[in-house]
Amino acid sequence: MRIAVARTSEALAGAGPRRRRMSLTTQRTLEGYFFVSPWVIGFLVFLAWPLFQSLFLSFNELQATSLTDLKWKGIDNYKEAFVIDARFLPRLWETLRNNLLDVPVIMIFSLFSAILANQKIKGVIGFRAVFFLPLVIGSAQVIKQLFAQGVGGATLSQGVNIQELVFEYIGPDAAAGVSDLLNRLLFVLWKTGVQMLIFLAGLNSVSPVLYEAARVDGATDWDRFWKVTLPLLSPVILVNLVYTIVDSFTDTFNSVLEYIQMTAFAGGFRLGYAAALGWIYFIVVFAILFVVVRITNRYVFYAGDRSG
Amino acid sequence: MASVTSTITPFLIARPKWYRDPQIVRRRSITFLQRAFTYLVLIDIAFVFLVPIFYIMATSLKTSQDLSDPTIVWIPSGFFWINYPLAFFSMAYVKSLSNSLYISLGSAVGQTVSCAFVGYGFARIRFPGRDALFALVLFTFLVPPQTIIVPLFILYKNLGWINTYNPFVVPSFFGHGLKGALFVVVFRQFFKTLPWELEEAARIDGASAFGTWWRIMVPLAMPAVVVVFLFSVVWHWNDFFEPFIYLNRMEYFTLPMRLSVLSPSLDTATGGQASELFNEALVMAAVFLVIVPPLSIYLFTQRFFVESIDRTGLVE
Repeated sequence: MRIAVARTSEALAGAGPRRRRMSLTTQRTLEGYFFVSPWVIGFLVFLAWPLFQSLFLSFNELQATSLTDLKWKGIDNYKEAFVIDARFLPRLWETLRNNLLDVPVIMIFSLFSAILANQKIKGVIGFRAVFFLPLVIGSAQVIKQLFAQGVGGATLSQGVNIQELVFEYIGPDAAAGVSDLLNRLLFVLWKTGVQMLIFLAGLNSVSPVLYEAARVDGATDWDRFWKVTLPLLSPVILVNLVYTIVDSFTDTFNSVLEYIQMTAFAGGFRLGYAAALGWIYFIVVFAILFVVVRITNRYVFYAGDRSG
Repeated sequence: MASVTSTITPFLIARPKWYRDPQIVRRRSITFLQRAFTYLVLIDIAFVFLVPIFYIMATSLKTSQDLSDPTIVWIPSGFFWINYPLAFFSMAYVKSLSNSLYISLGSAVGQTVSCAFVGYGFARIRFPGRDALFALVLFTFLVPPQTIIVPLFILYKNLGWINTYNPFVVPSFFGHGLKGALFVVVFRQFFKTLPWELEEAARIDGASAFGTWWRIMVPLAMPAVVVVFLFSVVWHWNDFFEPFIYLNRMEYFTLPMRLSVLSPSLDTATGGQASELFNEALVMAAVFLVIVPPLSIYLFTQRFFVESIDRTGLVE
């Protein structure tokens, strides 16, 4: 009996220091790496390595028909994209222009509808449910089918007949422009689901005490929006802006991405050139994001302590 | 004056219930108009999102005469159900549905589990290099999938994964795949809002890091789990770009892919005789069949979408 106890305590004493040899910090560090390791492995395999390979491929000639046949081309692919290829730059420009128009529309519309859906009035939950429909069926494909079938401005403005009015008073060119705009607008409104969700969450996190205070100080609803809601929401606006830009630039419907896919898989099979186009696009998007974040960050107001 | 009122504001907030602020009384008189206007705008916006759905349903029930008749827009002359079985069979609905379910459920399970795991590591454990790694997570979100599609295609081809669902399901178990970075961020933000006490108690009682995560933190993170799972299902369901790259045989196609090849396949089935007008009703029936599964999931779970946003900590 005594021996057993002694052995146990000996075992405990032996186990103790060994466990203690690894300090708590080291243990925490190992745990941290344990938790993030799946992501790191995934990052290396599914992102970092392909990204590097894509950069390498972009300096080569590679046909999809024979994947082992690499030919070094230097910067010829990039030269081709900017100097020879007559289809790439117009598409890039078109994508930039469209997104420049779409992103503000998406932001303003989603903020507007989030504020509406945040009103404390009866039945607002039902409206929220409808507003989130684009999240569920905003599938690019379904929507594309719909607009191909003409559920665009034509259906929506039937009661008002904006196009006809414009046609009569301004002319056919303007009418075509208006109908284009209406179609585009409807298409864009269908991309506001996530943004509205984020704005709603942001609006919910604004403390009602501040509104109360503003009201007691005599601020009108209009003042409260500009002086309380907007500054407190500005970090959320930045998050949303980044999300919207990334989302619309990686939307498979934009013509650059369609072109890249065409070059690589449908018809062209020029993998090296497609990789070069992909990298040019990536750098352009990254530059835009960098500029936007740098400019917007100046206007973002961080309330309280946000060091964590 | 303003500064005086703002200094007494805290006292006003604590005023008794029976106290009626004269300003509130004054505001009541204009609320009716305001409320009417708010409803009007709400209905307008709802209209934008509901019209296409009504349009799909109305058009799918039309006969070819109805389609060419300009006076019939919303209400067909009768219920012409035949488009539904036609669409059902020409999309090979059962097969494509099970393909879609396989991809979306498999990837959603993978992303939910792995992103919850990784997100917890980023939120709660301090280790060297954590912030740099998290910056990498944000960076992955910025890379357009098209930039890396070529090497990935080659990789999957060498692995023999073309025409299988591995290219969608396997990366999702590593916290990648469609918008994986976003889900990691969501979980990280959520775990950051949870109290430390429970976790510390578990650790003191001798639970391992994994046990703490699985038995204490995951049950607490249910709102985030539900939201991430639903989003992942819906996004994979609607995804279009990657399936078309990695799947090139019809029997592996998902529902939205089938939808996009529907018109050509109809033309070959009828020897190019299918008229445009007949097509439209049929395509709408097909569209409806494609959106029915996510729509019905949404009907049952919209409570989570609508209400649990506040609790996901999506915004700190």
